[in-house]
Amino acid sequence: MAGSRFHQPSVLPGFGLTFGFTTFFLSALVLLPLAALVFMAASMSWGELLRVVTSARAVGSYRLSFGASLLAASINLVFGFVIAWTLVRYRFPGRKLVDALIDMPFALPTAVSGIALTSVFAQNGWIGRYLSLLGIQVAYTWIGVTVALTLIGMPFMVRTLQPAITEVQRDLEDAAETLGAGRFYVFRRIILPTVLPAMLTGFALAFARAVGEYGSVIFIAGNIPRKTEITPLLIVIHLQEFDYRGAAALGSVMLVMSFVVLLTINLIHTWGRRRLVAAAC
Amino acid sequence: MSITLDQVTKRYQGSTVVNDVSLDIGDGEFFVLLGPSGSGKSTLLRAVAGLTGVDHGRISLHGRDVTHLAARHRGVGLVFQNYALFRHMSVADNIEFALRVRRMRAAERRARRKELLRLVALEGLDDRLPAQLSGGQQQRVAVARALAHKPEVLLLDEPFGALDAKIREELRRTIRKVQRELGITTVLVTHDQEEAFALADRIGIMNLGRLLEVGRPDDLYARPATRFVATFLGAANLLLARQSSRGLSFGSEPVIIPHHEGAPHAREHEVVAVLRPEEIELAPARDALASPYMADGAVEEILFSGALERLRVRLGNGTAGAHVVRSDDGAGEPYLEVTRTQHEQRLFPVTVGQPVALGVRRLHVLPTPLSSFVACAPTEALADALSREPWLTQLAARMKTRIAVRVEPALGTAASPQTEGETAASAAGARFIGIATGVEPAAASAGADCVEPAARAAVAELSPHAAFAGAAVIAARQETGVVRSVEWLLARGVEEVLILPERTAAPRRVLIHWMDECARRATLAVSASLLRHVPAEAVYVDILPEHGSPEAARPLGMRALLDARSEAQTVHGLDMRTELRYGDVAQELAHRLAERTDQLLILGLCDVADLGGRFAALLARPASPLLIVYRRAETADRAATLGRERPHRAADARLGSQAAPALGGAEPARVRTAGRERYA
Repeated sequence: MAGSRFHQPSVLPGFGLTFGFTTFFLSALVLLPLAALVFMAASMSWGELLRVVTSARAVGSYRLSFGASLLAASINLVFGFVIAWTLVRYRFPGRKLVDALIDMPFALPTAVSGIALTSVFAQNGWIGRYLSLLGIQVAYTWIGVTVALTLIGMPFMVRTLQPAITEVQRDLEDAAETLGAGRFYVFRRIILPTVLPAMLTGFALAFARAVGEYGSVIFIAGNIPRKTEITPLLIVIHLQEFDYRGAAALGSVMLVMSFVVLLTINLIHTWGRRRLVAAAC
Repeated sequence: MSITLDQVTKRYQGSTVVNDVSLDIGDGEFFVLLGPSGSGKSTLLRAVAGLTGVDHGRISLHGRDVTHLAARHRGVGLVFQNYALFRHMSVADNIEFALRVRRMRAAERRARRKELLRLVALEGLDDRLPAQLSGGQQQRVAVARALAHKPEVLLLDEPFGALDAKIREELRRTIRKVQRELGITTVLVTHDQEEAFALADRIGIMNLGRLLEVGRPDDLYARPATRFVATFLGAANLLLARQSSRGLSFGSEPVIIPHHEGAPHAREHEVVAVLRPEEIELAPARDALASPYMADGAVEEILFSGALERLRVRLGNGTAGAHVVRSDDGAGEPYLEVTRTQHEQRLFPVTVGQPVALGVRRLHVLPTPLSSFVACAPTEALADALSREPWLTQLAARMKTRIAVRVEPALGTAASPQTEGETAASAAGARFIGIATGVEPAAASAGADCVEPAARAAVAELSPHAAFAGAAVIAARQETGVVRSVEWLLARGVEEVLILPERTAAPRRVLIHWMDECARRATLAVSASLLRHVPAEAVYVDILPEHGSPEAARPLGMRALLDARSEAQTVHGLDMRTELRYGDVAQELAHRLAERTDQLLILGLCDVADLGGRFAALLARPASPLLIVYRRAETADRAATLGRERPHRAADARLGSQAAPALGGAEPARVRTAGRERYA
């Protein structure tokens, strides 16, 4: 019966409708623009393309963009976990406030956080003043870029980890403790395996966000070619010179590299899950 | 002893979750901690495991003090209600967890794992993930895992809670078998009495953070000492009865049931009798009963439930007033629950509405000194208001007893307590108000509405000349003054008087003190009885006079404290803190009471003159509830005549060497003679 489809035991009825929307939005908002980008880059000759994407300036920017992003995501992996753990496990005054603060980098225009970070970490800033005494310069170096990217990626990590940590029941730790396990052992063998999938997801999200970040970085980076110039900035520079095809070429490289990194994380993810299932057979 | 707990106390956010629990569990014993949810049994178990710290007291495992030892060094195995298996590990990895932690070699690990899987009948499931097992199988894995490191103690926290009935029974059998095979000391926590009966060598019953009674299952069932245990372990009818040297009688019409249990009392007094539903006999007429006649009744309801027939019988011929408690629901009418076997049903089939004669095959009297409460006030309105005091109604509901109302105009006049002439005329009327026993704290705190209209209707008029029964309750605000009223009541044979200030806060600490040695026994008994129903910490305060030489008095004072504590423990199963102070008794007590309002003072006396004398100030306008336990010196405990003068009272004149030997000689003998008198 045709009508029976609407009596399916699902909260949202109409598979056809929802699937249609999904396909449409993905195509219109993601696939088509990306295709246009690749198409634009493809209109260049191979030689010209290679020259643009392998120029010393471009290579330097890749290294900074992807290196700093990976580093920032790794920092978030550790400290995001600590923050999420604190928020889930402990009840302390002002917990709600801290919880709300986590989302601030989401809401703030990235340029604002960039300017704020710069003023704090600049040589006469609140923190930069003391760091410069130690000979560490943050603003206008790759360290500054990493700091900005860490800030931007942090909410992704915390928000992804929170539900996963909630799932680590106290009982599991208690059980492990009565069986003789010390704290570190419990962490390594019980807590970490349980939250690892969420950690990978959080890492991927934070990394993806960092690679694409533009607004906050350009204020703190100083934008010295080959040293503190990120790829998105280089693309903007190409655009300002009306070199649309060069911009498209760099964009395509970023697309491919991001895709490779994200795919790798996803593969690790599924591999980990399959290993669990495999162990069961 | 395998596990020894000594005054273990755990507080959580101001309330005492585990209250002075002392317990010895023997080697290889299967001990079951039984109690309703929130009674503190799980917290106690976690404290033994080392997962929860304690605020007071000591825990020893096999003679080793582990109070401050981390869980992983205690050598216990713990099984959780929700299994708590490591979901990302296979069954084998789960079981080997403790062995891996200990860096055991793979071959040995495997051998041990195989052995454990055989023990819990799960051979061949090594490689499964927990998610691929049924609930029962998962719990078996959890048991195997907890046993892997050969712990000295196995702790099980409601291990069958999440399983259905059939699996539950099967697993129960497995656990019992494993426990026997390994001879491992086991503590199991549950709220299911059937489970406790099926498994336990001994059961400890907890309520409101206190360990109420410990004993063999059959003993606890047949001879409970407390109301809570009587009704929590199986169904029970609790009735107020009057006990005299001839036996028991229920209600106003004297129906004597010969009764051989317990110590005979010279004076007639009110007691609480436990009647198991299966111990009540039904017959068409009094003459047809095989057991002693108790009352007439009418069948109100018949419920067929397989092997047993469950009946409700309404009591007749004047016994209605005696009935207080129904075992399960709080409906106002006084019913008796009766169960009969198929055989009994065939011998005497009954129909609804049929009049029957009731006989009692076996009956147990709770040795409780607090049988019921009587709210006494000069006018009916005041007495009514007093009987509805939230804390009192809550206490009565927990004690599963009633609050009667008694109007005593004499309490309103400034009459001297010595004028005996008005005694008979003074009791203008007395009646009982049935208290809905199902009333729980939440309902009780609602105040005036907590006594259901139905319950209020169940009022039994008493003869105005009836003697006092139960503890008298008076308001702290009295026109005639508290001292006067208490003296008046004591002169009329009342032995316990509870003085309630308006809007009494639920006490969190109970202070215990007796003025004279002759009141010691009664005060301890009343304290134990009250403390079983009040979630408060108990402190026995002993006060030595400041003058003289405190240095010499100190060992004696300490000795008195230890004696008091050990008597409370051995005779009443009550554990309490002790405290030694120096100074004037009344002043020190007033000091201690002034610290906070959520306290209650239990004061034992033998000398009425103390009331108007040294305690006049304390009694003038008490801010916290006060329970006065009075025993006339001559009728009181013979212990006083055994030569044991209260050391520091005697100390005023002759402090020191003379009192000590008398003390040592008298004490052990008395504890032994009083051995079976545990008070409800």
